[in-house]
Amino acid sequence: MLEELNCNIVFTIPVFGGIGVSESVVVTWIIMAVMVLLSIIFVRNLRVENPGRKQIVLESVIGGVQDFFVGVMGAENKRYIPYLITVALYLGVSNIISLFGFKPPTKDLNVTAALAIMSMFLIEYSGIHKNGFKHWVKHFAEPVPIVAPILVLEILIRPLSLCMRLFGNILGSFVIMELLKLIIPVLVPVPFSFYFDIFDGLLQAYVFVFLTALFMNEEQE
Amino acid sequence: MLQLNVNLLFTIINLVVLYLLLKKFLIKPVTDVMEKREKLIADGLNHANEAQEEALKMKQEYKDALSGAREESAEIVEKAQVRAKAEYDRIVTEAGEKAGNIMNSAKINIQSEREQTIKALQSEIAGLAMAAAEKIVSEKTENQGNQEIYNQFLEEVGDAHEDSDND
Repeated sequence: MLEELNCNIVFTIPVFGGIGVSESVVVTWIIMAVMVLLSIIFVRNLRVENPGRKQIVLESVIGGVQDFFVGVMGAENKRYIPYLITVALYLGVSNIISLFGFKPPTKDLNVTAALAIMSMFLIEYSGIHKNGFKHWVKHFAEPVPIVAPILVLEILIRPLSLCMRLFGNILGSFVIMELLKLIIPVLVPVPFSFYFDIFDGLLQAYVFVFLTALFMNEEQE
Repeated sequence: MLQLNVNLLFTIINLVVLYLLLKKFLIKPVTDVMEKREKLIADGLNHANEAQEEALKMKQEYKDALSGAREESAEIVEKAQVRAKAEYDRIVTEAGEKAGNIMNSAKINIQSEREQTIKALQSEIAGLAMAAAEKIVSEKTENQGNQEIYNQFLEEVGDAHEDSDND
């Protein structure tokens, strides 16, 4: 059981006394490869006029996600949308990949922390980019200077909450599913799998990118 | 299990790479196609609007031209009517004048002819009277009295006079 929870080192790069590459990174590579491959296959021969059914589905998905982010952040932040779509797709795939027998990469704290750090930089960058560095420094002292320490802490708290929420949800659902499979391996895990593997995974992906977009929006005020 | 290590860095690199790859292979082509289509539709709508405006303008022009032509034709017809009326009046007056002239000359002719006839008749009557008188005188001188001769003469002359009046 504990064996399952641990993120194993798959192989070690023999430099600097051996760098261990964990399972999550390898699974991420697999996910990346599959996603890029599927993208290339789906995006092949797109047509402006008279699109096929495949293209219509693809466009409505991408367009729908784009509209969602535009609704949250406004049209002037279109440049951040591709990253958010990437994260959403990656999280969506990673969270439900346990259905295919892989360990979800998001069960590894390193992955969620990396995502959260990226989000943190993106949030602060969007604020600085929009209003300038001076305004970014000043906004910590608003509305009154006494809140400055809390607002400075918020820089770290926001990504930490993102990171831990994702990590906890996926780890928790993973543990519950493993326990269930251990106790009753037949039939009973199916509805639970629907909830913990699919629904919760997709929900957490949605929550992660939605909160990132929301924080960016907040930071730009 | 809860430890941060170098795999965090790997994941960040993975994410950046994935972002760049997906942007290039998935998001950009799809959004490009969508934008192109939007542009196409917008262009089409603009084009349609322009065409419609032009058609409306042309329609207005045609309408103007048509109403102008109608007015012109009405004017032409009116002019023609006026001219025809003038011509008609002229012809009628001319005809009236001509008829009057003809009547006048006919009257004059008749008058002169009548006078001529009267003159001719008078001379004839005179001749007849002379002849009758001669005849009567020569015939009756022996058989009848003078009174009778005069009566006969007067009768014949009176008859001749009545005849000439009836002409």
